[in-house]
Amino acid sequence: MGAEIVTVSTDTQFVHLAWQRDEKSLENVKYPMGSDPTGNLAKMFGVYDEETGLALRGTFIISPDGTLLNAEVNYYNMGRNIDELMRKFKANLHLARHTNQGCPAKWKDKGDKTLTPSAKLVGKVHEALE
Amino acid sequence: MANGCECLGCNVGSKVPDFKLTTYDPSKGDFGEVNLKTLKKDKKWTILFFYPADFTFV
Repeated sequence: MGAEIVTVSTDTQFVHLAWQRDEKSLENVKYPMGSDPTGNLAKMFGVYDEETGLALRGTFIISPDGTLLNAEVNYYNMGRNIDELMRKFKANLHLARHTNQGCPAKWKDKGDKTLTPSAKLVGKVHEALE
Repeated sequence: MANGCECLGCNVGSKVPDFKLTTYDPSKGDFGEVNLKTLKKDKKWTILFFYPADFTFV
């Protein structure tokens, strides 16, 4: 899909290996599993929990020029929606090619309506999305 | 999480400082490295997916 997905926890790469080999639901995993035992990367992104030494469920999309474009953080007890991650990623790809546009809340995929800010659009967003 | 998490500078819209991580790469069955500098050079998007611990759900 044109992106490097890296999963990150404070476990070592050795534990990642053991987990990936052991857990049946991970048998098709292809992405690199990053090891952040010091929590330094988690700290950099504000998801490190000092009390437990663990990282919260944070998802971050970084553009090819190194700009952070999306951040989502969930507490321990809530998993993430991969469809929403894919929606954000596709929107980023679209917006990178069409820098004058915006993707509204309900934008899902290529072909859905986008918004191009202009004097004409002021107060007419509803009509533009109809 | 009494103290909460404090963001140390990675704000949406700002540049992410270069970082490196040691990895286990299941596609190669071997250890490796992920380096933001290299990914930028290769014009790749990067998605970081943090989770609390192995052997739990993500």
